[in-house]
Amino acid sequence: MYPIGVVGPGAERLAKRLTEHLAEHGRVGVVTNRRPDGNRADSEQGTTPSADGGTAVAETRTEELDRYRTAGAASVYGLDDEGWSAIGGGMDLHDALYAMAPARDFCVVEGPIGSAEDLPLVVLGGVEASSATDVDADAAGRLVLARAPTADAIDPEEVRETLEATEPIETLESLVEGVKASPEAPQSGAIATFTGRVRAQEDAEDTPTEYLAFEKYEGVADERMAQISSELEAREGIYEVLMHHRSGRLDYGEDIVFVVVLAGHRGEAFETVEDGIDRLKAEVPIFKKEVTVDEEFWVHDRP
Amino acid sequence: MQWKLFANLAEAAGKRRIDIDLSSEATVGDALAALLERHPDLEAEVLDEEGDLRDHIQLLRNGRNPFVTANGLDTDLDASDELALFPPVSGG
Repeated sequence: MYPIGVVGPGAERLAKRLTEHLAEHGRVGVVTNRRPDGNRADSEQGTTPSADGGTAVAETRTEELDRYRTAGAASVYGLDDEGWSAIGGGMDLHDALYAMAPARDFCVVEGPIGSAEDLPLVVLGGVEASSATDVDADAAGRLVLARAPTADAIDPEEVRETLEATEPIETLESLVEGVKASPEAPQSGAIATFTGRVRAQEDAEDTPTEYLAFEKYEGVADERMAQISSELEAREGIYEVLMHHRSGRLDYGEDIVFVVVLAGHRGEAFETVEDGIDRLKAEVPIFKKEVTVDEEFWVHDRP
Repeated sequence: MQWKLFANLAEAAGKRRIDIDLSSEATVGDALAALLERHPDLEAEVLDEEGDLRDHIQLLRNGRNPFVTANGLDTDLDASDELALFPPVSGG
């Protein structure tokens, strides 16, 4: 799933246009602020219900769902034939994106909430209006896919093309969904997965790791992973092998790498998932720097 | 041609990408010599006492290892080639 943040004046309008365009190319999720910001509260939320009562009904249902929250429910789903609404607690933008990733191809994040994660951005507004975001974007190294004074000056098609060249969010679940969609899935009775994650300590005496920083040889790393996958897929009873390695800063506890194998039976699934991660670690040009509470070092220097 | 450096090699050079103009007959070895001339701090990381590439340093030309698929340092270069130097990989 490709996430994209839309920020600045007119973000809501552009987010809707982008959603419309992206929906023609895949399944789109949207994350927005739950409560309208100050400006919109007057103009949109404060209006009287529309003649058909649509607004009033929607708001009443939301209030009802909210009452279950107040009663102590961690999450509440409202379902009917046309769709669903959900209310819950304990979710930030990161959680929302990773929850959506398995079943969505794109995710549009509208408004100021988009600054909470390191997302590729579309920035609206003049130099003055967006200067704060510009500074953030530079300092945080965030990718700005497009800038324009107004929403109408953005070409959604161009944005999508640049977006599809960025790093998608992959999760274990999104890769599992990916192999299940294989045309050979009907012959498969087993999926084996490997997840590598950031460990705090080798043992109780080890200095705790704060985070790992991964640098990838863009292009070549993906080519090598694809090569390993296709060699493993040539094995008897192996239908599909997907691999994904995250890059950048990953804190203690975060997932680093996934290998997912779709196979006829568990024997070849286990064997192949092990060979897959072993070959990835030995052959793919990715480099790991470890930052502990005391120091930082490149891991290849401390075998 | 362009060099791409990774991990501690990029830190030693202070740069990740370095463009170098070479004559049309230049080889991978010429490109390496030009890189080390421009960034002398790299030499100790990349070469051993005899001036050969250290065993653990990997060199790729357009994603392939020229010591396996071509003539090593004697491999001819194109102006559009991308060369990469990196330490042992440590992903996962």
